[in-house]
Amino acid sequence: MKKSRRIFSSIYMWIVLAFFYLPIVYVVFFSFNSSKSLSNFTGFSTKWYEEMFSNRSIMEAIMVTVVIAVIATAVSTVVGTITAIGMSKSKKVVREFITQTNNLPMLNPDIVTAIGFMLFFTSLRISTGFVTMLLAHIAFCIPYVILSIMPRLRRLDPNMAEAAMDLGCTPWQAMWRVIIPQIKGGIIAGALVAFSMSFDDFVISLFTTGPGISNISIYVYSNVKRVNPTINALSAIIVYVVTAILIIVNVIPMIRDRRKGKNYEAITEIR
Amino acid sequence: MKQLQKFVKLCLGSAMALSMTACSSGSSSAAASTTQTETVDAQKEYGCNAINVYNAGEYIDTAVLSAFEKQYNARVNYDTFDSNETMYTKLLGGSSYDVIVPSDYMIERMISEDMLQPLNQDQQTNEADYDPAVLKMRDAYDKDGKYSVPYFWGSVGLVYDKTVVSEDDIKNEGWNILKDTKYKGNIYYYDSQRDGFMVAFKALGYSMNTENEDEIQAAYKWLREMNDTMEPAYVTDEVIDGMVNGNKGIAIMYSGDAAYVLSQNENMAWVEPEQGTNIWSDSMVIPKNASCAGLANEFINYMASYDVQLANTTAVGYTSVRSDVEKEMTAKDGDYYENDAYTVREDGKNDEVFHYNEKLTKALSDLWNKVKVQ
Repeated sequence: MKKSRRIFSSIYMWIVLAFFYLPIVYVVFFSFNSSKSLSNFTGFSTKWYEEMFSNRSIMEAIMVTVVIAVIATAVSTVVGTITAIGMSKSKKVVREFITQTNNLPMLNPDIVTAIGFMLFFTSLRISTGFVTMLLAHIAFCIPYVILSIMPRLRRLDPNMAEAAMDLGCTPWQAMWRVIIPQIKGGIIAGALVAFSMSFDDFVISLFTTGPGISNISIYVYSNVKRVNPTINALSAIIVYVVTAILIIVNVIPMIRDRRKGKNYEAITEIR
Repeated sequence: MKQLQKFVKLCLGSAMALSMTACSSGSSSAAASTTQTETVDAQKEYGCNAINVYNAGEYIDTAVLSAFEKQYNARVNYDTFDSNETMYTKLLGGSSYDVIVPSDYMIERMISEDMLQPLNQDQQTNEADYDPAVLKMRDAYDKDGKYSVPYFWGSVGLVYDKTVVSEDDIKNEGWNILKDTKYKGNIYYYDSQRDGFMVAFKALGYSMNTENEDEIQAAYKWLREMNDTMEPAYVTDEVIDGMVNGNKGIAIMYSGDAAYVLSQNENMAWVEPEQGTNIWSDSMVIPKNASCAGLANEFINYMASYDVQLANTTAVGYTSVRSDVEKEMTAKDGDYYENDAYTVREDGKNDEVFHYNEKLTKALSDLWNKVKVQ
């Protein structure tokens, strides 16, 4: 009885993993196809990577995507953190009000937000382009940052800042040295969510961008008409970069810990 | 965390470096394909040196853009759209483009809504070399070519696998082969209300622009029967890969895509049924709110030139609008020698151009969704 349940749960797990990873493996596999086909593998070749790197539109799209994601993450993290700290110190009514207004954009369907932005910019006669797209990205990232910081702040002892100031901190120092380190986990999580939201956003970007500015999603979507493996190559490179970052982020602390451990051993040995 | 920051910086730096080298390598390959012409300074000549171009995705050899930039000392911001409707929405949103490449019916609509500006005919020097059939069909949506210069053209037809489908059947039955139960489960049907209904109208001998309620209902019935008896696979662009691999026997396709399929799989053949079909063209136009119309006119003329048309049709596979390029491509050593799909039928008496009709589009789109319900 117990054994069969274990078999069932492991099968279930493998199915879930297959659903997650097989499509990615498929995309990466066909990025090395030697012909234009997306479903018939005819031989190994890296020509689609060469084609991708020599395609100006793709390189510009990557550039725009990364720059927008980095700036939007930075700005929305700062604004979100300040707002969250401010909210934790304000009256309940104000806090409730801001929480609700913060939740609305996240529940709102992307397409509504997108059309709203487009009409907003058009009615103000602002011509859409890089700046409008960036503003829109910052706007839709902030709620996620606030959402991920709020629980941390709630767990924080409200007297912490006062205690710090009692012990001689200026208010500025109290924030930097006491509050921010306590909520650091939430800030990093918020920044990561903001970055990935901005990186793969399509709908809002499409409606807020202007001539000459496309991000990766817009480029891919408008070229799905006659797909060729350059799109696979582009997607595959994103997969490589993400995998590399994940490995680095996970391995480096491990190495650091081990080194620390060694130092510790050395010190104790000397003693 | 520090390491992560450093890594991101490194990535950014290398991306920038890559995009720069990409620019320079792109232009060098283009320089080889164009004839040596003296450079013009766009700023001096037209008062501006950047144009925004909006074209369908995968519809150009991008090297021609770099060559233009070099020749005119200008910058081309090249954007792509996935459908005419997306492009139209973006324009309504206030985006300012200098050259766009919509389809015939969309141009007709934009002219009627006063969104386009007339071309400067003095700058257009290539029309003498155009295929007369293309210029004649242009009159259907843009009388005398006041607003547009064709870019690519083609038709809609059937691609079939000679080893699966008998040639007699397809020649005799035309579009009705899509209802021949011999080929049940073996057809790709194009998933768009415009092309889907066009096939039904033509199979029944009606005009594809009909507004007659009885004819529309008859076409709906035709499609319903096809759906219920044939188990068709509704596809759009996946059909290209599907037919190259020979997954099914018959498919409705655009001629340019069909030319590519025929060049990749020698079992495939092309037919434009006698009952008539849709002849279409995508053309270059300049919107009213263009910021650099002078250079835009120059760009259109450049895109219509022999070298550029040759480079584009070679890269994309759609039929060139120039007679000399068509001749070159179908000559004995050309890329599309004996490729039936490359040459668009010019004398089909039942062939038509699609006209924009808001009411009809709406009605057909509702019916089309009902057709596909099992």
